[in-house]
Amino acid sequence: MNLDKVLKPNIIFNVKLFGAVIPITESIIMMWIVMAVIIILAVIFTRKLQTVPEGKQNVTEIVIETINKLIKSNMGEHWKSFAPFFGTILLFLLFSNMAGIFNIFPTASELYQITGMHFFKQLPEFSIASPTKDLNVTLTMALMIILLIPISGIKYKGVKGWCKGFLKPTPIMLPFNILDYGTRTLSLSLRLFGNILAGFIIIEMLYAGSVFVKPIIPFASLFFDLFDAGLQAYIFVFLSSLYISEVIE
Amino acid sequence: MPTSGFVAIGAGIAMLTGFGAGIGLGIASGKASEGVARNPEASGKIMSTGLIFATLSEVTAIFGFVIAIMLIGKL
Repeated sequence: MNLDKVLKPNIIFNVKLFGAVIPITESIIMMWIVMAVIIILAVIFTRKLQTVPEGKQNVTEIVIETINKLIKSNMGEHWKSFAPFFGTILLFLLFSNMAGIFNIFPTASELYQITGMHFFKQLPEFSIASPTKDLNVTLTMALMIILLIPISGIKYKGVKGWCKGFLKPTPIMLPFNILDYGTRTLSLSLRLFGNILAGFIIIEMLYAGSVFVKPIIPFASLFFDLFDAGLQAYIFVFLSSLYISEVIE
Repeated sequence: MPTSGFVAIGAGIAMLTGFGAGIGLGIASGKASEGVARNPEASGKIMSTGLIFATLSEVTAIFGFVIAIMLIGKL
């Protein structure tokens, strides 16, 4: 496995817009796919809602109630305006972290090796992988959360109340409270990125290994693509709701 | 490049952060399960607080991993 290929953004094609060239990378396309899957599932699962739930509506209600309960226990009285936002982020991260499990289609270079047709050599290299193994994606998510902290603080407590929050619990903590905005961005984004990338690299190494390590792959995939992915999505939402509840209460 | 060996050794040393994170995680989860055994009603709260501290101690290992990846990328 080439580590350089894993770390560098894999540009599939370029879009020319108003004279500027915008590279469309693999993680952007994966995010589009994840978004499309979530939208289709949302449309299917919320059709024909009834007062007495039956069938797929039960699943919808369980998902919504779980998210509401999680946000309610973290945020207290203002949970209602944040629950849809955090629910969306939780579902998006869950689906994008677990996307690596669908890595079943051969890439263009593998197809070229199998068939020997030069047609496949011209195609861009695209494989289904978690978009969150790209630092650009997770950093964007973390910046979104960090920007939401002062906005929600100012909305619920006013500019003065938000600024007073920097002096809590004692005025000596002021530099640390300001520093928190930087370290929280770093830790939120790097935690998600590091966990998903580590799982991806370990599974790729197992694929490149000998016949004797091949039986481990399903169990490793089960752990990294299902358990760890779900846990990291939950932790991301949990920590960000904690950060925001700190400001608005 | 003659220094590439040292870069690889540095990446290995950076991954030693997993040592401390493992000890911290073990202590945190051990104490959490101890707390649940003593007070089973508070298991929900212990679960959420334990998860926070587990992630806080885990993040040092993740930082080490990212540093190691950055070093390997320089090879």
